[in-house]
Amino acid sequence: MSATAAATGESSLKSWLLLAPLLVFLAAFFVVPLAQVVVMSVTEPEFGFGHYAEIVTDGFHLRVLMETFVTALVVSLCCLLLGFPLAYAMAAAPASLAAAMMVVVTMSFWTSFLVRTYAWMVLLGNRGPIAQFAEWLGFAAPELLFTRFSSTIAMTHILLPYMVLSLYGVLKRIEPALPRSAASLGATPAAVIRHVVLPLAAPGIANGLTLVFVLCLGFYVTPILLGSPREQMVAGVIGQQVEEFLAFGEASAMAVVLLASTLIVLGLYHRRFGLDRLWG
Amino acid sequence: MTKPYLELKNLSKSYDGRSRALDAVNLTAAKGEFITFLGPSGSGKTTTLMLIAGFEAATEGEILVDGVPITRVPPHKRGIGIVFQNYALFPHRTALQNVMFPLQMRKMPKARATEKARAMLALVGLERFAERHPREMSGGQQQRVALARALVFDPALLLLDEPLGALDKNLRENLQIEIKRIQRSLGVTTIFVTHDQSEAMAMSDRIVVFEGGRIQQAGTPLQVYDRPVNEFVARFVGDSNLLPLHLTDPASGLGEIAGIGPVRLPPQPARQPGERATLLLRPEVLGLAQPGASNTCRMRVETVVHFGDSALLIGDAGGTALRARLPGQAAQGISERAEIALSWNPAAGHLIPAA
Amino acid sequence: MRLLMLLLGAVVLAFVATPLIIVVPMSFSTAVSLEFPPPGWWTGYYAAYFSDARWTRPTLNSLGIAAAVAVLTVILVTPATFALVRHRFAGKALVNLLLMLPLAVPHIVMAIGYYAFLADVRLLQTFPGIILAHTALSVPMAFLVLSANLKGFDRTLERAAMSLGASPAATFRHVTLPVLWPGFAAAALFAFVQSFDETVVALFISGRDTETLPRRMFDSIRTTADPVIAVVSTLLFVAVAALVILPILWRGIARRRSEARP
Repeated sequence: MSATAAATGESSLKSWLLLAPLLVFLAAFFVVPLAQVVVMSVTEPEFGFGHYAEIVTDGFHLRVLMETFVTALVVSLCCLLLGFPLAYAMAAAPASLAAAMMVVVTMSFWTSFLVRTYAWMVLLGNRGPIAQFAEWLGFAAPELLFTRFSSTIAMTHILLPYMVLSLYGVLKRIEPALPRSAASLGATPAAVIRHVVLPLAAPGIANGLTLVFVLCLGFYVTPILLGSPREQMVAGVIGQQVEEFLAFGEASAMAVVLLASTLIVLGLYHRRFGLDRLWG
Repeated sequence: MTKPYLELKNLSKSYDGRSRALDAVNLTAAKGEFITFLGPSGSGKTTTLMLIAGFEAATEGEILVDGVPITRVPPHKRGIGIVFQNYALFPHRTALQNVMFPLQMRKMPKARATEKARAMLALVGLERFAERHPREMSGGQQQRVALARALVFDPALLLLDEPLGALDKNLRENLQIEIKRIQRSLGVTTIFVTHDQSEAMAMSDRIVVFEGGRIQQAGTPLQVYDRPVNEFVARFVGDSNLLPLHLTDPASGLGEIAGIGPVRLPPQPARQPGERATLLLRPEVLGLAQPGASNTCRMRVETVVHFGDSALLIGDAGGTALRARLPGQAAQGISERAEIALSWNPAAGHLIPAA
Repeated sequence: MRLLMLLLGAVVLAFVATPLIIVVPMSFSTAVSLEFPPPGWWTGYYAAYFSDARWTRPTLNSLGIAAAVAVLTVILVTPATFALVRHRFAGKALVNLLLMLPLAVPHIVMAIGYYAFLADVRLLQTFPGIILAHTALSVPMAFLVLSANLKGFDRTLERAAMSLGASPAATFRHVTLPVLWPGFAAAALFAFVQSFDETVVALFISGRDTETLPRRMFDSIRTTADPVIAVVSTLLFVAVAALVILPILWRGIARRRSEARP
């Protein structure tokens, strides 16, 4: 543990000894199960790439993939649109108010997906506050639940804290003198945001978008509980194939496609910004 | 010098196997001596300290304490007290518990350890703060706790690594006196690392000036100030005028400075005629010339900086930049752009041989 | 412009907060189905939750699993974090990537992987199976939390301890460990919460006797919309609120106490 031993051969051996328990554990209980998914995708029920061919050729799987990507994109953009003003307000607010806002965001972040999904079922249900308000106004209660709308708004709400925390991180670090000096140089408030704040916040925006997009791609719980059964997302289809049809091969092939998509997005982020910053 | 207590023999350190952060350092210290390592950052002073403490391994050379080589002894068995730059107090322990830590490590019975730690806290004037945690104390108080902790186990040596760097000026001066007092009363051999030359002058029995991984000069504060061995030491310690000098007739004590003219040399060992050297004149040895004085020069004043008790005149003498420090009274009435005549006592100068 | 942003921010904050708060009145509602505002008030569903083994059992299961996951995760991650933060060695970047991978893989992918794998090793629908899977998934967050703490740790404290006579082992026990303990606690907490909330993998690998609370909630929401779900949600919400607000209050009190001293 002494500093003198750094970067010597002895220390290298020590490093691997310290790492060994975790590496063995992850190999056995993470890498093997993950590899099993890849293997099953080409061996269940028999060896071959039939499941992948099916995904590419039959309309159903492609439609599900498209649906998933579009949803993830919409949710990411909604999170950015909603998250930016909130993060901006938090960064601009006096310390105690900012702390109170932070408490709300952190609480949302830590509250179980299921709780938040359930809350949206209450809010959007046909006996919920929105429906009752519409009825009171004299309209027919709108069908909000189990639609693309309900799952999108719930996922946006659930993933919004990731975006806000990413944005807040960069906005808070902007030197307060910068917007002021831009203003003193003649920039209008809108121009300050466009030419000073946004460029400096770019890494946080990319960070938030990537996180939300990737988490949304693999989202299982909320689309199943709140979404339209006719417009499923990939994760739901994978689960269904295992649960209802025990079709492990098909499910695994879809899982590999989902995994590859996720890794591609993360890889793009990694090349530009470095992955270690994503969850920092 | 009496029998050496600490000896550094030919000590070298290389981090990359090629360039040397420390190059063949030799030094001895007597028991109870207060030695200051002075130098700019990267000069090797902190590296030497780390080697003595045992946090870095020497590439070559030997360290002896009281005649015993400790070069290969691990840090926790060296028994050397260290005060770190940021104090390094354990945040989860109170002041008393911090001071008790080394005694606890030495398995001293708790009652005796408590008593000893309290006595040490009293010595640094913090007995009332024994139950406080570091975060509840000021920087100066933390500094004293760190000192008490480093001294409580009667260390063979006390090392202080720029311990006053983070404190403001007044507190620094108080603590300088305080540290000196405690060091004297305990008689512990001390090495103090700093890049602040006034701190070094104020505290040390001896100053060791480091630069480029080597010891440039080791001597008493006055030796280092009055008779620096080279231009680096002259520049680093105190304010200085370094004037290139042509030794026209060293036998009769005469030389010449371009733009100023012939000057009388300081009484130093004879040199060859025609040799070149540098004359060090501290700004305070220059005074307003009385009529008929030798060693005079005319200076065109460009800037006057008043300090109250004295004033610094910065100007030009025949193409050479010159700084003169006059008593506050004498400088009154000298305005910028004035032409004044300055002179100095030849014995107050110091000749540095050309490198 | 600034005002507009602040106004929008306030609206979004309301959007964030409303769904969190609405579960509280729901839990005291007499409504049999999802009805808001509630037609009447009572605490009957709380009684129902605490007396019904179909709810208490999964709750206890989840608490036990999460506790085991927290302990196991910290035990595995701690030495690895020390190696990764403090040492330099070939292959470090790769190890780093492997440790973060569980965070990148969608849970549904791991769910079918664990389903097949745990069936092979006969751990499907067992507590050890769930604990092992959840521990693997908790590694990245625990590692991130712990390494952030370790990077912020001032190593001169260790040097100071050694100079004062502490052996490397004593230094670790008396200085490194106590100074870093909030980091360990935070890492354990992240692992605990991660496991306690994990739904997707648990849906596939937990069984009738090892049912976790999220699985029970999922099934309940999906099939019957049992009103007890509002009670569970409220309890979870209150637990999170305590988790987020208590440390802030505690820090505030500690600060005031230290400022009160002269």
